[in-house]
Amino acid sequence: MPKLIIDDIPVEVPDGTTVLEAAQSVDIPIPHFCWHPALGKAGACRVCAVKLLDGPVKGVQMSCMLPAMDGMVVSTTDDEAVAMRKSVIEWLMINHPHDCPVCDEGGECQLQDFTIAGGHGIRRYDGRKRTYRNQYLGEFIEHEMNRCIQCYRCTRFYQEYAGGTDFGAMGRAAIVYFGRQDDGPLESPFSGNLVDICPTGVFTDKTARFRARYWDYDMAPSVCPHCSLGCNTVPMARYRELLKTTARRNDSVNGWFICDKGRFSNAGVNAPERPRQALVGGKPVSLAEALDALATLLGEFLELHGPESLAIVGSPRMDLAGNIMAARLREMLGAGTLCLFNETDRAELTGKAVSLLTTENSSSQEDMRNADLIALEGCDLLDEAPMMALAVRQAWRSGARVYMVGTQNEIQSAMAPPFTKGGPGGILQQDQTANPPQSPLGPRGSFVKGGHNREATALPFAFEQVASLADVPLAEAKRPVIICGASRTGLESIGEILSDSTASFDKGGLQPALKLAFILDGPNAFGCAELARRHHGVALSTALADGRIKGIISFEADLSHDLPQGITVLGAADWRPTGLMTRAGVVLPTTTWVEQEGIFVNNEGRAQRFKKVMNPGLPIKGLTPELHPPRVHGIDAPGGDVAPSARLIAMLMQRLGETMAVEPLSGPWETLKDLDATGAGVMIHKGEQE
Amino acid sequence: MIPTQLRQELEERVAQAITPREAAVDVMKGLQGHYGWLTDEAVAEAALILGLSTLQVEELATFYEMIYRRPVGRVVVHVCDSISCWAMGSETLLHHLEQHLGIAAGATTADNAVTLLPCCCLGNCGNGPALMIGDRLFGPVSPEQAAAIIAGHREDQ
Ligand code: SF4
Ligand code: SF4
Ligand code: FES
Repeated sequence: MPKLIIDDIPVEVPDGTTVLEAAQSVDIPIPHFCWHPALGKAGACRVCAVKLLDGPVKGVQMSCMLPAMDGMVVSTTDDEAVAMRKSVIEWLMINHPHDCPVCDEGGECQLQDFTIAGGHGIRRYDGRKRTYRNQYLGEFIEHEMNRCIQCYRCTRFYQEYAGGTDFGAMGRAAIVYFGRQDDGPLESPFSGNLVDICPTGVFTDKTARFRARYWDYDMAPSVCPHCSLGCNTVPMARYRELLKTTARRNDSVNGWFICDKGRFSNAGVNAPERPRQALVGGKPVSLAEALDALATLLGEFLELHGPESLAIVGSPRMDLAGNIMAARLREMLGAGTLCLFNETDRAELTGKAVSLLTTENSSSQEDMRNADLIALEGCDLLDEAPMMALAVRQAWRSGARVYMVGTQNEIQSAMAPPFTKGGPGGILQQDQTANPPQSPLGPRGSFVKGGHNREATALPFAFEQVASLADVPLAEAKRPVIICGASRTGLESIGEILSDSTASFDKGGLQPALKLAFILDGPNAFGCAELARRHHGVALSTALADGRIKGIISFEADLSHDLPQGITVLGAADWRPTGLMTRAGVVLPTTTWVEQEGIFVNNEGRAQRFKKVMNPGLPIKGLTPELHPPRVHGIDAPGGDVAPSARLIAMLMQRLGETMAVEPLSGPWETLKDLDATGAGVMIHKGEQE
Repeated sequence: MIPTQLRQELEERVAQAITPREAAVDVMKGLQGHYGWLTDEAVAEAALILGLSTLQVEELATFYEMIYRRPVGRVVVHVCDSISCWAMGSETLLHHLEQHLGIAAGATTADNAVTLLPCCCLGNCGNGPALMIGDRLFGPVSPEQAAAIIAGHREDQ
């Protein structure tokens, strides 16, 4: 643990820490472009100069390249260091356009910040600037190469960190070009991160260009709802329109990055076809009137058929509070069934997977990145949990062995579908040729031998194929992780491994370090499985099968099959235009995850709070002059008479005679009340709250 | 398409390397020897032989200045413009050759005989100003000597 002094402040840091990080640890910022916490150092930009006044190294040095050592006395304010940084910025600005006002990065640009911070304000260079042609990089990312300052972050991320092969650095000296060989869509399913990590405006989010400045955005810490991993995000909105989504750092979960599905699936929130109007029998009414009508309808239904013929349907897509309230509603009515899953299999397998996980054995993405052995069984990472593929790649880069369980055919069919950007509620799709991936046993660093197109859908790491989980040498590893789809065969073999390992652990055999990860279906699938366990929920198809159910009320539920005609949909609440919504007697429009506060419990069992980003309502963009500005006085924006499902249920319960205020996060969920949206999240495994 | 024999030679070269990237320069030079410059087709062939993407070959090809990604003349003259040669008058030398050949630096004479390229350090700093044609280094050279050297190579072609 070297001890050093930075700007008169004594600092002690772990071995291997750079002087730059040591300074950051005591809140002394040092400008940096090429250094990035997830990518490490490159020594390319020279803007992090400090002066070492005493100790083992002396003089002006690059703080990102220099490991902190005992006895160092570092000054970030020394004249010589300040002058160096100022000159470096001036050089970097020589070729940079002087047009921040027309650059989409302006206001959220590190180059702007460090240029000002470095004290460079007046340009002395009046020669010709080096200019480039930009490339078409697809529908998601805009390219403006003239803004590049050659920090190499983009290519280090794209090729080294994410394993992409179609983007990189070309040329040399004064004409380095960062791009593709030819115009065309970037192939990596993680390409959107270029927008976040480029310190200048070379890559900007094309789906939101020139729509707002940084200070205009409505922003809040949020959680991605597009798969079960719960990556942390900052959605950015303006004028009731979700414009873009950026990654938010959470070292235990997604690290610094998110996948393109999570980044570019914003369209559903703004979609004109999204339900925003409460309806009773197809007629527009206010939300309050719709709830009155539903209460009446429900009363009549219960009188006629009795509570056991009613199913309350929640969903792994809905936040925890909504599902807790669905359970409460069912309790209050003594209704027949609580259905938080649609399919019998899904409910059973998710429940099984969740029951196998404990706080100790549940693998986070961070555990995966640090694993020394990873076994994959029955899952298609790039499609079902893209960021896991990136996590496995980091382990593989540091030497972990990766095993894929299954026959060649199983593996190929699991990996065949191309990664599509757009995701649930999204409308953006990018066609990529789905060539069957080859067994990617290339050398470390390039994962497939041969032409580059077929890598479009290949996993970004090499693996060995084994016939069964029993063939994976788990016992040889110190930090093994098994990643498994919630499939029957997968769960069975894991059950065997676990009982074996407990048995052999008792005999001093297998170490207890084995961690598990299941890929579930939906951002709150874990939470739903936990609720279903506590409240004896069953899948909707199971409930329907025994013929008792005659009516349902559904909250943000997706049905894969058509509901039998005999079933009455008394009410349906959702922000997506589902089939259930078209059949419902009462339609209740809800908020999306960016218009409400809530909690998703991710695949590990980590409860994470997301905050409200923006007010609900029709986006101002696209509104006809009759609707904007509104001509009728009201508190809500047009299309803003919507509410989170949890609140809708609470209001319904009041109408049905509940006299107490209903707080979803009470009883066993009380601990989540103070959950901090910017923290690492809280584990809620079985037993934690009991 | 390259001859099968060349392909086999290059594949053997890659097989001997610990990582294919190591053999990239040899492969590119081999292909350049065949085509005269590293054509787009050659980049694709190199990518196949090396197990890299075409972009990754392009990255390497555009880094090395003796790999030509555009057509060049039969004689390619590299004139060093690094600091030592510059101090010894390489700017004058290059300018002189531009006039002598009637082309700008970077261009090829109309008869496709000579391409003139300024380049980064040739490692001949003690003998600046230096130039290089094929594998042969010359320096120090006066503008007149340079013209004579080029004329000699032109005749050989
Ligand atoms: S494009 Fe951006 S990230 Fe890439 S080198 Fe240039 S400034 Fe850095
Ligand atoms: S991996 Fe899943 S949770 Fe993470 S950003 Fe992608 S879609 Fe969202
Ligand atoms: S941050 Fe240190 S050289 Fe770029």
